Order: sequence, then C-alpha cells, then structure tokens
Amino acid sequence: MPDYFKSEFVKITDRKYFAKEANSVRTKAFDNFIQQGLPNKKDENWRFTDISSIKKGSFRISEKKDAPNADYNISGHELDSLKTAVFFNGHFQESLSTLPKRLRVISNQEYMEQNDWALSQPTKSSFDLLNTAFMDSGVSIIVDKSIQINEPIRLLFICSGDEKLMTSPRIHVDVGESSFLSLFEHHVGDCNEYFFNQSVIVNIERNGRLDHIRLQNNSESTINMGNLHVKQQEDSTYDFVQFAFGGKLGRTDVNIDLCEEGANCFVKGLSLSDHKQHLDVNVVTNHYAPNCISGQSFKSILKDNSSGVFNGRVIVHAGAQKTDSSQSNKNLLLSKDALMNSNPQLEIYADDVKCSHGSSTGALESDALFYIRSRGIDQETATALLVHGFASEIIEVLKNHDIKDLVITYFNSWLEQKN
Amino acid sequence: MLNVKKLHAGISGKEILKGVDLSISPGEIHAVMGRNGSGKSTLSNVITGKEGYVISKGDIEYKDESIVEWSPEKRALAGIFMSFQYPVVMPGVNNTYFLKAALNSKLKNNGKKELNAAEFLKLVKEKLNELDMDTSYLQRAVNEGFSGGEKKRNEILQMLTLEPELAIMDETDSGLDIDALKIIANGVNKYRNPSRSFLVITHYQRLLRYIKPDFVHVLIDGKFVRSGGKELALELEEKGYEWLEE
Repeated sequence: MPDYFKSEFVKITDRKYFAKEANSVRTKAFDNFIQQGLPNKKDENWRFTDISSIKKGSFRISEKKDAPNADYNISGHELDSLKTAVFFNGHFQESLSTLPKRLRVISNQEYMEQNDWALSQPTKSSFDLLNTAFMDSGVSIIVDKSIQINEPIRLLFICSGDEKLMTSPRIHVDVGESSFLSLFEHHVGDCNEYFFNQSVIVNIERNGRLDHIRLQNNSESTINMGNLHVKQQEDSTYDFVQFAFGGKLGRTDVNIDLCEEGANCFVKGLSLSDHKQHLDVNVVTNHYAPNCISGQSFKSILKDNSSGVFNGRVIVHAGAQKTDSSQSNKNLLLSKDALMNSNPQLEIYADDVKCSHGSSTGALESDALFYIRSRGIDQETATALLVHGFASEIIEVLKNHDIKDLVITYFNSWLEQKN
Repeated sequence: MLNVKKLHAGISGKEILKGVDLSISPGEIHAVMGRNGSGKSTLSNVITGKEGYVISKGDIEYKDESIVEWSPEKRALAGIFMSFQYPVVMPGVNNTYFLKAALNSKLKNNGKKELNAAEFLKLVKEKLNELDMDTSYLQRAVNEGFSGGEKKRNEILQMLTLEPELAIMDETDSGLDIDALKIIANGVNKYRNPSRSFLVITHYQRLLRYIKPDFVHVLIDGKFVRSGGKELALELEEKGYEWLEE
C-alpha cells in the first residue's frame, strides 16, 4: 500500500467544507480500503490492468490553492454554449457554472445529510472505497418528478497543473419519476501526472430516463478511474455512451442494476488508444427483475503499443424472466504491437430469456482496403474510411450536434496523428 | 489499350496463370470464359493490382506502360475499373461518401475541379436513373444489406460514375436474375463507345447474350486454349468445356 494514501487521509479529515459526520463515513471507507488493498492481477477483473502507476506514484489531495483564479475562462474547453457545472482539480466552481433552475443542485454534504450519511456508499471495488474516503466537494444533481431537461447538462472536469494531484469527485444523480435528464461528462485538462478517481451514483425512478455521455479526453499522463453505479426502477431507461480518448490509464467500471420490471439500459462506448495508453471498460449489468432489456456495445481502436480491456458481464438473476439482452465487443487493431483483451460473459439463472453475445478483434480487412483502392482512393484515405466506418455506429448515437461535432473533431485528429 | 504478355502469375507459391497473352484495343469487348479454378479471377486481380499475387514472368501493359509495379489506386486513376464478383460490404461507410471520394480523387488526379455535394448528387441521380435504382441507395452503407442484384448494380453505378476506359466485369452475372441481368447489360451497352474497352469474365454464356463480345477466349488451367468470335461462346454453351480439354 503506497504511503501517500495514509498521509493524505489525515489531511482530508481536516477539511472544513464537509460536516464532521463525513469523517466517520470516510474513516470507515478508508479502513475497508486498507484492509482490502488495491486490486492485483490475481483478481479476474484486474488481470490485464496495470495499476503500478497508482501504486508507485505519489499524489497529494487537491487544496484550495489548486482551484482556479476568479477570472478563469472555461471557453478554452469548447462547448461553452452548454449549461455547465465546472469541477476544477476536484473543486466544484459555482461561479464558473451555469445550471438551469429546474435542476436542483445541492452539495454532497446536504445530500448525504438527507440520506443519513448511510446511503449510496458503494463498496464494490477499492476505488469506490477510495473515492468515499477522499471525496471532494462534488455535487448532487436532483431532477424532481415530471421534469424534462432536454438540453444536455455538461459536467466539465478540468485536471490542471504540474502538481501530482489526486482528486476524487463524487457525483450523485437522482432522476425523479417520469423525468428526463441528459448529462454530458467532459474530462479535459493539460495536467502532468494526475490521479483522478471519480464515482458517479445514479438512481432513476419509475419511468424516468437518463441519457449519459462520457467524453474522456484527458492528457496523456492522467490516470482516470471512473466508477459508475446505476440503479433503475420500473420502466426507467438508462442510455450511456462513452468516448475514451485520453489518459495514460483510463478505466471505467459501469455497474447497472435493473431492479424493477420494464427497466432498460443501453451502454455503448468507443475507445481510441495510442502510444502506451491503456483503456479499460468493465460493465456489469444485473437483471434482477423480469421484462427488462439491456444492451452492451463497445468498440476499441488501438494503435502503437497501446492496450485495452473489455470485461462485459450480463447477469440474469433467478426470476428475471423475459430478459432480452445483447452484448457485443468489436476491436480494431491498427498496429501489430497493440493488445486487446476481450472477455464477454453471460450468466443466466432464469430459463425464459433471450441473450446474445459476441466479440471480435482483428486488423482491417485487406479485401476491403483493396476494394476502396481499386476505386482510385489512396491507402491512407482508404484506411481512414474504414476506421470511420467502424467507429460510426457509436458516434452516430449522439443526438446533440455540438457534442457530436466535438467527438468527430477529436476522432479525426487522433486518426490523422502520425506516430 | 491493354496488353497482357506471356503472363505467369500465382498466389501462395502456386502458379495459376501459365502464359496468358491478351491484347485489347479501344472499343473492343473481350470475354474470358472458363470453369471455376481456371484462373479467371487471378487474371482480373493481377490486372487491377490486388496484393498477394506474384508475377513470375511476362508483363501487363496499359496504354503502352507496364503497370505491374503500380498500386491499385494508380491503376484505377489511369482508367482501369473492376466490377467485383463479390463486392465488399463496408458497414458504417456511406455509399454516397465513398463514391464521391472516389470520383473526386479521380477529378483531382486529372487536374479538374472536385465536385461539391450538390453537384455530385445531381450527377449520381442521373446514373441511378439509368440503372433503375432509387435514391435510397445513397443513404445506405456500401453494400450493407444489399441483395446480390443490388450489389452488382452498385458496381455498375460506380463504373458509370467513375467513367473508366477499361472495365473488367468479374462474374458480373453470378447471382443475378434475368431482370437484373438485363438492367446491368443495358447499363454496360449504353456505356460502350469506341474509346472504352471491356473485359468480361464469366463462367456461362448467359451474360454474353446481352453484352455482345467481339472476341471470346477460353481459359483452361491458366492458358487460353482457344480464341475466336462471339460464336465461340455459343459453341461452348452447346458442347461444354470438355471438348477443349485434352
């Protein structure tokens, strides 16, 4: 266990913007974390994930001085037309944020007070415990009953500076009955070595819907751990799409519980990696109730010596009859030295279900390249056409044109980059 | 226009073409007939420059230049086109986008102004009409979910749009019903003119009823065993290939 965790933990408990009650929650999580330790390669879900940069690193928590100047301008991070909540090195920046009034945004302290400090403290992995132990100011977003917020709300996470920081944003999202929220997480920043460990805890009430976009475009020296927990009630819908482009180590754990009948979730993603980047996606969909539909569809495109993981699990628990689930993972290797580990899993404990899964990993098809070139298009353009074609299925799910244009711009510049 | 000279070629260490001579002048239609495995597809693949084939002897000249070292795209830009026996399905690649990229690559190569979206659409709609295709083709991904006939029509659409001077039709009739065959033959016949040549590769005589060749060559075991006029195709239909095989 790296020393910095213990020394930083002493500091975090001195923080003033959290009530004392938080300290007992933090301490409990930290004790559990110490007991459990960081994952190692013997753990099936961590076999192919190298976290030595966390183990050997030395990070400190973000202090007030790491917050931006009052005149900080977020327009350098694009899409300033969107309603945005700004998190700068872990600090929620109310003055830089623009949020619609119909949305209730409260501090995590207030939120947890309302929930007796007990609820929503995920313990699934060490990184969840670590997030609870170190959680920064964060926010809780509450959409009350029967409210439709159609324009995406952006959560802009800026990792900035040369200090080796460790930030632990905590976001709670409650979507009320028959309400709709569209949430867009945008991860950016020019930071040097940086350990970002975020937990997002979502609850969607009956007939509610959350569209969730996550665009991770961190610097190439950032560690980005995203821990997502979603609970869905009757007839609710969760639609998630991730674009993981940046980071030295990026890992997203998505845990979805379909708790009541008629709940549906669709999770998709596109990861682009190059150099020595490692991008990881772990998705677990739990079907606890009958008549739920779920889909997992993830794609990776890998260049250079980069590597990736897809661990997808769909668990159909006893009694979850009439489950309809599909799972797909497709990976494109643009380099002989790139490595992808794909592990689609299906566990079924009910007998009347429809489940499919599949996985494929390979290079571009030479027949397709020849076909395009035989029409007078050069090899480089032909490759780009095919790679675009491969990615388009995921990019096309974006409905907001500004976000889509931004993703396409990132994608194109990544593709054009020569090594 | 095309001169194949004493060509020996193969793949994976196996010689498939064992000395093919073929000379096509502008405006001519040549048919190459043969059974499966006789080397028909190898011939079309080496002319268009597919990777993996090795030319051990002989040469391929196009407009008096040897093209065997040329990339597939260079050959295409010089005016060589192949209608594929098995057109490749490309999920996520829009048909219009693909065709426009191909046409603009050619225009650029010829020092001409590239077409914008509106100009391209106007042009391609005329071609669609000729082939009795509706505009929904343009929105779809290249060959994805296309029936056999639709794929072949899409090949001809590409030909009409790119305006090659030498068009190779590789088993264009396979998998087509008679109506689709007529539409395609009609497209080819309208496209014919004294400066454009065709190499029609087929197993059966059926297609040659609609696209009338000037010359017919019979390919058996990597060699032309007989060449003649269009009556040779009829003779083959009647007698089969056996009488030419020793």
